[in-house]
Amino acid sequence: MPQIEFKEVTKEYEPGFKALDDVSFSVASGEYLFIVGASGAGKSTVVRLLVREEQPSAGEIWFDDENILMFEGTQISDLRRSIGVVFQDFKLLESKNVFENVAIALEVVNASDFEIRNIVPNVLSMVSLSDKMFKYPRQLSGGEKQKLSIARALAHEPDVLVADEPTGMIDPDSADEILEILDKINSLGTTIIMATHNAEVVDKMKKRVIRLDRGQIVSDKKGGKYRG
Amino acid sequence: MASTWQNVLSNVKRERLLSISNIVIMSVTFMLLGVLVYVVALSQTALRYLERQAQVTVFFEDTFSEQDILNMRNNLMKDLRVLDVKYVSKADAFKLFTEINKDEPILLESISEDILPASLEIKTVEVADLKALADEISSVEGVEEVRFFENVVAKFIFWSNLIYIVGTVLVVLFLLISYSVVMVTLRTTINSKGIELEIMKLVGASDTYVKRPLIFMGVLFGFVSAVVAGSFSVILGFVMSRMPVFSSGISLFFLHQISLTPVVFSFVLFSVLLFSGILLGYLGSYTAVRRYLKY
Repeated sequence: MPQIEFKEVTKEYEPGFKALDDVSFSVASGEYLFIVGASGAGKSTVVRLLVREEQPSAGEIWFDDENILMFEGTQISDLRRSIGVVFQDFKLLESKNVFENVAIALEVVNASDFEIRNIVPNVLSMVSLSDKMFKYPRQLSGGEKQKLSIARALAHEPDVLVADEPTGMIDPDSADEILEILDKINSLGTTIIMATHNAEVVDKMKKRVIRLDRGQIVSDKKGGKYRG
Repeated sequence: MASTWQNVLSNVKRERLLSISNIVIMSVTFMLLGVLVYVVALSQTALRYLERQAQVTVFFEDTFSEQDILNMRNNLMKDLRVLDVKYVSKADAFKLFTEINKDEPILLESISEDILPASLEIKTVEVADLKALADEISSVEGVEEVRFFENVVAKFIFWSNLIYIVGTVLVVLFLLISYSVVMVTLRTTINSKGIELEIMKLVGASDTYVKRPLIFMGVLFGFVSAVVAGSFSVILGFVMSRMPVFSSGISLFFLHQISLTPVVFSFVLFSVLLFSGILLGYLGSYTAVRRYLKY
């Protein structure tokens, strides 16, 4: 049984412009998947649909045997706790330090202070940010910001980690570090879905690759490469 | 609940300048509303005072005995329109005349007590009833003259109504303006947290988690601003209570017959401002945060 399933999903932002056009694919639990394509191919739309930031114009999206399009209020909050998201622009809170940026993911699920004090240092150590715990985002490099974003996504131990262009705004060395971290997380059983147009990253990892072009899937290969 | 308040207070501390400016803006708004309420209430009080000075004076022929006049007075006192009837006997009238003209000895020599007529001075609850009452009394046999300043009273009624209507409209208008100011102020604060709210939603925060601290913050701002404005109104009330002109109390808008001492009035106003502050704080923050709760 797939963990995630897109069934004939279409997303039309404005009449005549389909960001996704009749897209169907499924992802098994623990899988590592790249979604690749040029800018505007529909990669970010897949991510936004998966965490219910957007609703599709047609089709169904299933997660753990439930149609997420039927979700309301609390169910959507629960879904977002099961799917951690890493954004290209990090989406960090500038007024909070590294510890607090991770803690917020736990505070929103009413975790106790004791839990927060235990979990936050653990996830920060997973992404090698233990020594930056009390720094503010403005004091971090691009790579460190992305690591912090990953740490926050991992705070409530999600089943799936979705990363939207996580290496898009960082240098190649930092990108390698991010890939290593994601690989490590995947080896612990978390499903990873990464949307990217970084060919080097995709080719290096040799994982399943779904290629999008103008909103349609043009290839879906295991152990694939960016160019197919 | 306690942790939400802690959260709100730490946010207020963190954004001290924004919080203070919000509270100042809201306090000034509530203060202006309070002052306007005072102005309308005081103008009503002044009008009520002047209204009570207006009267119909009925002069009687000498053939109309004192007993007849007192009977008429008793009958008038039973009339619900009548507030007070004062009997001025020939002797009282002469005494008054003597006092007024004490510097005119020649005039006083030519006037005796018998010449001046006895009279009744009638005050009504509503100044508008004076004319009807004057018309009714003038047809009574034995009544020599009914003196009633119709033009003055008509003008008085006109201005009284105008001030009342304009005042009430202004208070209602300012209530709406206060509502808008509070809404815009709270919205600005909440919108400044827009990214934070979006991130919270994306990491799985429930609606309640996002909404509650902001609503508490709105209520806190409304409460503090109303207390500041209300305290100002109470101080004003104490200052006015020392002024003899307000010794008979301040009229309540729609309840003409009820007057409150300035201090009691100021505490009523304080309570109204407090209630409005909390309500506006709640409504303002609730509507502002709602847009961040849409999926």
